[in-house]
Amino acid sequence: MVTVFFQQVLNGIILGCIYALIALGLSLIFGILEIANFAHGEFYMIGAFMALFSISALKAPFIVALLIAMAGMGILAAVIERAVFRPIVGKPLINSMLLSFGLSTALANLALFFFKADPRKITSGLARYRFSFHGLFVTGERLTILALSIILVALLAWFIQYTRTGKAMRAAAQDRVAAQLAGINIRRIYSITFAIGGALAAAAGTMVGAMFFVNPEMGFTVVLKSFVIVIMGGFGKIKGVIIAAILIGLVESLGGGFISYAYKDAYPFLLLMLLFIFKPEGITGGDKS
Amino acid sequence: MKGNLQKALLAAALIAALVSMPRLFSMDYYLHIFVMSEIYAVLALSLSLLVGFTGQVSMGHAAFYGMGAYTSAILSIRLGLSFWVTFWVAGIFAGLAAFIIGKLVLRLRGHVLAITTAFFGVLVAVVMNNWIPVTNGPMGITGIPRPSPFSFLGLNIVLESRTDYYFLGLVFVAGVLYFLWRIENSRIGDAMIAVRENEELAASIGIDTMKSKVLAFTIAGALAGLAGAFYAHYILFISPVTFTINESINILVMVIFGGMSTLFGPVLGAICLTVLPELLRMAGELRLVIYGVALVFFIIKMPMGVWGTFRDRLINYRKKMTPHRGPGGRLPF
Repeated sequence: MVTVFFQQVLNGIILGCIYALIALGLSLIFGILEIANFAHGEFYMIGAFMALFSISALKAPFIVALLIAMAGMGILAAVIERAVFRPIVGKPLINSMLLSFGLSTALANLALFFFKADPRKITSGLARYRFSFHGLFVTGERLTILALSIILVALLAWFIQYTRTGKAMRAAAQDRVAAQLAGINIRRIYSITFAIGGALAAAAGTMVGAMFFVNPEMGFTVVLKSFVIVIMGGFGKIKGVIIAAILIGLVESLGGGFISYAYKDAYPFLLLMLLFIFKPEGITGGDKS
Repeated sequence: MKGNLQKALLAAALIAALVSMPRLFSMDYYLHIFVMSEIYAVLALSLSLLVGFTGQVSMGHAAFYGMGAYTSAILSIRLGLSFWVTFWVAGIFAGLAAFIIGKLVLRLRGHVLAITTAFFGVLVAVVMNNWIPVTNGPMGITGIPRPSPFSFLGLNIVLESRTDYYFLGLVFVAGVLYFLWRIENSRIGDAMIAVRENEELAASIGIDTMKSKVLAFTIAGALAGLAGAFYAHYILFISPVTFTINESINILVMVIFGGMSTLFGPVLGAICLTVLPELLRMAGELRLVIYGVALVFFIIKMPMGVWGTFRDRLINYRKKMTPHRGPGGRLPF
């Protein structure tokens, strides 16, 4: 029982790290463009398919496939931003929501048309290495995924904190007009934000595809959960988002394992409701920054 | 006087057209589309009170629609109650649920509110799928009885054909239109508009903004519940796939499509978005792709809705056509 508990905790943490990758991209896009991007789940799905085909067609190793997916989806996301989202930046929120929902529907069904609904698996070739530690099992694949997601989150945090572009992004999130007055090319920032968001989502999709399955409809529940994470963690707060992501991963894994698997998609919502009732200021609390 | 006569003639023509519709298009297929348009008109109207009038975006409206449908279906099957009772119970139940949820979530604003309501919709769908003893899960509920016949003012009302449902639906839509028209032209409606335009300012002049928002949410939920009951006893089968987030978004698009803050807009949106997807049936598997792309184009090109954009164009056109009358020359609308 105790072993099962810790096994679920470990799984929850891995799941949480993957959620963090998606939610951070979503949070960046929200913070800088003020767009709630429902199509983010489709970025994640398309990224997973890119990795899947890189492995099956190009015989690429897992890590290379992951990088191909990140690069491919990053570019695609920047193109989508330019073509679809740019015209509505600054318009009422309902427009951007319906727009991104339309995009999400179109992309998911296009993928369904071409790839069909049957679930496929990304074979990383790392699942055969198994490690055990006091009865806890973990495959080499899951360890790699955990390490990679931590590295990606750390890279993102470094990028936003210390690079010139990262500082420009933070400035744009704080005040779009003031950032432009200070000479920041805001359009370039928009493209970069979407590219980063798309690349992180693709990485997450590849990882989930290796652990579970890839199918055209995998995006939507994930994007809703990621929104919950972003709301819980606080918009634009990296630390809060990471904590919330791991919390949601744990709740889902433990709740699904010990309470009821059928209701596992409802737990994040219930958690969010509890948070609204007892701690309306968000997990990390305090001011917006 | 002349204006009134015109209006009366227009209304008479509209009523004549609506009444003769089932004779002109007597195929069951067309009649089904008409009845669905009526149900969606009620749903879009109810949501427009919240989104268009009070300015609060909900992406979980189908949850209340579904609650109404399930309440009415379960009560009429398990307890053998008549539709004419369960219909109202469904509305009250959905309204009560909306009241409680509204109290919880309407402190939130903008995107956060929209996403939270979306998640509420998902939660309701999860319950419908998994609370099998009550909802029968993904299999849905079959064998919902038709509304029982009754006599009203000497008229024997029997609902058997689609034409009967069409006329009942007309009464339903007219009732909802009248109800909303009364609300929107009352002080309650003024308070709602004030909340939409500027919540802080509204609060500062003594409007209980939270109360206005919760009221709008409750009424919207109750009306959606009534629409759900009507749907359940028309289709005679309900399952959770009807009440997903896609349906919530669909209703929201209807509200936006026609233009938000009029009563005419949502009805127009409901009719267009019930008829247009039918035309897309020949596209088969690519239907939803086309729908998504069309939605993207629509939002980029017509952010004000079809009616709003059309009206703006017309105003601009008239401005060009009428000679300049100096400052203060007001347009007729």
